Amino acid sequence: MSSTTSKSALGEFLGNLVRAPRAIYRAAFRTGAPTTDRSRSDFVFGNVFLHLHPVRTHRWSLRWTTTLGLGIAATAAFLLTLVTGVLLMFYYKPFPEAAYESIKDIHFVVPTGRFIRNIHRWAANVMVVAVLAHMVRVFFTASYRAPREFNWLIGMGLLVVTLGLSFTGYLLPWDQLAYWATTIGANIAQSPRELTDSLGITEQFDPGGLQKQLLLGSDTVGAESLIRFYLLHVMILPLALAALMAVHFWRIRKDGGLNRPEDADARLGPAPDATYPVFTEAPKKTYHLAAIVQGRTPAVRRGPENTVPSMPHLFYAELGVLMVTVLICVGLSLLANAPLKELANPSVPENPAKAPWYFLGLQELVSFSAFMGGVGIPAIVVVGLGLIPFLDREGAGSGDWFGGPGGARLVVWSAIVGLAAVLAVEAFAIQFGWIRQWFPHAPQLLITLVNPGTVLTAMYAAYSIWLVKWHNSTRAGALGLFTCFLCGFVVLTIIGTHFRGPNWEFYWSPAQWPTH
Amino acid sequence: MNKNKHLLLWSSLGVLALLVAAAVEENFLKTWRRIQASASTAQGPIDVHLRQIVVPDLKVTDRCVSCHVGMAPGMADLQGGPVLAAHKPMVHDPNEFGCTVCHGGQGLATEQADAHGEVRFWPEPMIPTRYASAGCGACHSHLRVTDLGQMREGRNLVERYDCLACHRIDGRGGTLRPGGAGGMEGPDLSHVGITGLDPDWYQEHLAQYEKAETGPWKHSFGPVDDKDRQAMEGFLKSRVGASELIEAKALFHSLGCRGCHKIQGVGGDDGPDLTRFGERDPHLLDFSHVPGEHTFVHWIAEHFRWPAKVVAGSKMPDLGLTEPQIDKLTLYMLSLRQSHFPEAYWPKDRILVERFREREFATDGATLFGTFCAACHGPAGEGRRFPESSPFPSVANPDFLAVASDDFLAETIRRGRPGRRMPAWNEAEGGLRDGEIAEVVAHLRRMAGVDKPEVVSPRPRWVQAGVDPGRRLYAAHCAGCHGAQGDGVEAPALNNPILLSTATDTYLLETIRRGRRGTAMPGFAAPSSPAYPALSPTDIESIVAFIRTWEDSSK
Repeated sequence: MSSTTSKSALGEFLGNLVRAPRAIYRAAFRTGAPTTDRSRSDFVFGNVFLHLHPVRTHRWSLRWTTTLGLGIAATAAFLLTLVTGVLLMFYYKPFPEAAYESIKDIHFVVPTGRFIRNIHRWAANVMVVAVLAHMVRVFFTASYRAPREFNWLIGMGLLVVTLGLSFTGYLLPWDQLAYWATTIGANIAQSPRELTDSLGITEQFDPGGLQKQLLLGSDTVGAESLIRFYLLHVMILPLALAALMAVHFWRIRKDGGLNRPEDADARLGPAPDATYPVFTEAPKKTYHLAAIVQGRTPAVRRGPENTVPSMPHLFYAELGVLMVTVLICVGLSLLANAPLKELANPSVPENPAKAPWYFLGLQELVSFSAFMGGVGIPAIVVVGLGLIPFLDREGAGSGDWFGGPGGARLVVWSAIVGLAAVLAVEAFAIQFGWIRQWFPHAPQLLITLVNPGTVLTAMYAAYSIWLVKWHNSTRAGALGLFTCFLCGFVVLTIIGTHFRGPNWEFYWSPAQWPTH
Repeated sequence: MNKNKHLLLWSSLGVLALLVAAAVEENFLKTWRRIQASASTAQGPIDVHLRQIVVPDLKVTDRCVSCHVGMAPGMADLQGGPVLAAHKPMVHDPNEFGCTVCHGGQGLATEQADAHGEVRFWPEPMIPTRYASAGCGACHSHLRVTDLGQMREGRNLVERYDCLACHRIDGRGGTLRPGGAGGMEGPDLSHVGITGLDPDWYQEHLAQYEKAETGPWKHSFGPVDDKDRQAMEGFLKSRVGASELIEAKALFHSLGCRGCHKIQGVGGDDGPDLTRFGERDPHLLDFSHVPGEHTFVHWIAEHFRWPAKVVAGSKMPDLGLTEPQIDKLTLYMLSLRQSHFPEAYWPKDRILVERFREREFATDGATLFGTFCAACHGPAGEGRRFPESSPFPSVANPDFLAVASDDFLAETIRRGRPGRRMPAWNEAEGGLRDGEIAEVVAHLRRMAGVDKPEVVSPRPRWVQAGVDPGRRLYAAHCAGCHGAQGDGVEAPALNNPILLSTATDTYLLETIRRGRRGTAMPGFAAPSSPAYPALSPTDIESIVAFIRTWEDSSK
């Protein structure tokens, strides 16, 4: 400007001061208000928090039934636990007894402490449920298939870390519930010892004992375990989760956005006039900046047809799911308090001592055979899940619920088969016992190999192989197997939670438990 | 796409509504707010705000007065319901100590169940109002409490000498007058144990009595003999404003509880240390065999009724207590607590006990016997037998005290009987000091009415008789009760090294000769039962010589 010479420096200073707020805003948001297609794209692309999103989102992805918002719900629950967890850390003291007392303080004394702790607890449970449900969704819509195989593996990592976070958090209150649930968890980690014991090589090779020692830092749950779990819970696992989440989200973009059927555009039909474009004049030009990047962005080789600007459409959806998740967690927190039992007492075991609910299916299997329940079957399940995207290289049904040969009908039948098998095996084992009751001197190795858990697994596997042959499709076998395992997981978890009493005996309700 | 906008809008509004609801609940619907809103003074309603007593030195933040507003300093005389009532008169200013120091519970909480500690799993519930004086035990040690017998005697004397005509003690006396005139001529003596008893009170009273022509000095007072005066003074010194607790403590020190239980390092080791028993977390107790509500009080009371039922494997015998006794002991159990305050806040009695090692109980023989010995040897030293244990000797038996020297008794108390139930009761083991042992010995003699031993041994060891006849006689007549090797089946063990080293030959010989009346031990000089032969002095000497052989082997 030419007026710089005529104006005094003082005047300029005052002018700058007056303009400072606006200048700060401009410096922060260089692109200005996201009112046009271009500025919307810039808004997403130029924002560190938003740029994990594509600048444009396909309309299929925004349908509620596409994802049910489960991934975002899991993320939202994680953010809730993060915020409430940091607040709890202000008062929590990770040392036995002091830990318990600090939770008491949080519960009774700290203003809104009980509320914050309730939200933390509920959000953690919601997160476990959402992550599991998200996995189920991805499986049933066949969204694990190429090019998303690796993201499926990342997702499995996220599931493991989520369970780890929840489990490590379980010990921190240092009450009886925490202490004995963790003891059970640690014993599950020690379960390879059943195999090494029956082979007589525990002296030389004891991976189970090593796992337990690594987990607890000693032979029993104590101060060492508490600080270990605390560190895992507040630092190592959250960082791991955040890193995996970043990769997971990034890969969604890089793998071509959310999965959708080949004919998604045709099925969506033309967009209603009112929805696109929003807040802007008719597009004269599109700025799909990501299109210049190599790889599978939503627009590569397909163009921007049927996409809408992520800002604001995707963000409305995401924020909506986030707020629904918050609503659920806050509502539950007002309804039910997080449990806090008496101070942990290593000399008074809880009977029954139960692991956290999501491990109760495993605990049920462990009650048949520690090795198979704790290591064998989980390993089979994890390896199987990990291999699915590499075995199922088919294309039919991608992006559709229960897509693939057989479809929803096959899933319903598989659910019936899965439920019938698990209920039959459980009913048999509860009614008639197992080999050990009939032949007290049977070798442990036999029971490790042949127990209700392995029998059930074998039944599911046989059914699945039959499905592969019948439909001449790996996807059909995978659909059946996944459905069966899902049914098994749900039923075993419910039995472990509600129908197992002292000494892991079967009871129809806790009211029938013997009173000492 | 609009439905996503609606989703965001309505879920956000829902969250907002829930947060507002939580905030309203936290800030407006609290019970203490409603209680304060209902309270009023003569000047009108009071301010509604969170009230608390904060004593930083004691780490006390007591919000109890948010509901019990009338107990807050300067807030007496409120109208509006019993919860607002003022505290009854007390020694301690709540402004100085807060509420939880005495009453327990959780001062920081602002809801009834939380504050009173009635929530499940809360480790320090309030002391029930009925046992409120147990709270004194958090800081006070109540010095030199006598056994119950002496305390009752003192109380009876105070009443018999008509002290209550002018004085008030524990809410009784001082007001009733023939004709209704006068009353309370003397000071209230309910706290005289704290304020101190004027050492010249008797001389001063006597002077007044001699001067007076008429009135209470003439009619209600009279000369008191020295023994009675001492008993009365003992009773008065125990008046510290917590008569129920003192009485409970006196009972505890009459039943010999410290014979098995240590408190503050003093007592036996057979039972658990009770120093902080009253602070135990009731939720860590096993209530499976306790009928009724799961309260600490119920647990303690049921445990006294039937120890082994409540605590599986408990060695504590069923003491056959009456319900009023159980109630008193429950109170005393609840009072076994220890505040963690800085010493500057400690009362004198606690400093004397914990720093100067003064006794919490009186150190006369009767109280000491009641404190340490009565549980096993019986309140009158008559001996006792509990199921599943061998009998405890009758230590106040006249025949025993007639042959046992004071040194023998003192040494037995000091060194005990290793390997048997009788532990060493010297001070290093949490037992008695030398002067106290002498008091106990004197008390035994008083109970038995035997001033001094009737026989005195010229020398500790003088028996020269042959061992072999003794071995035969022992096997025939002694081994049935004392065991073939003298290890004591029904009767005391004779091979005990401490017994053998402290007992003189005369003691052993005289015991065999005279026996112990009232016990299973016959006198072998002239047995009253035909089941036993009369033994000649030579026979008895040879038995003593045989018993002495165990001494050599045990060396």
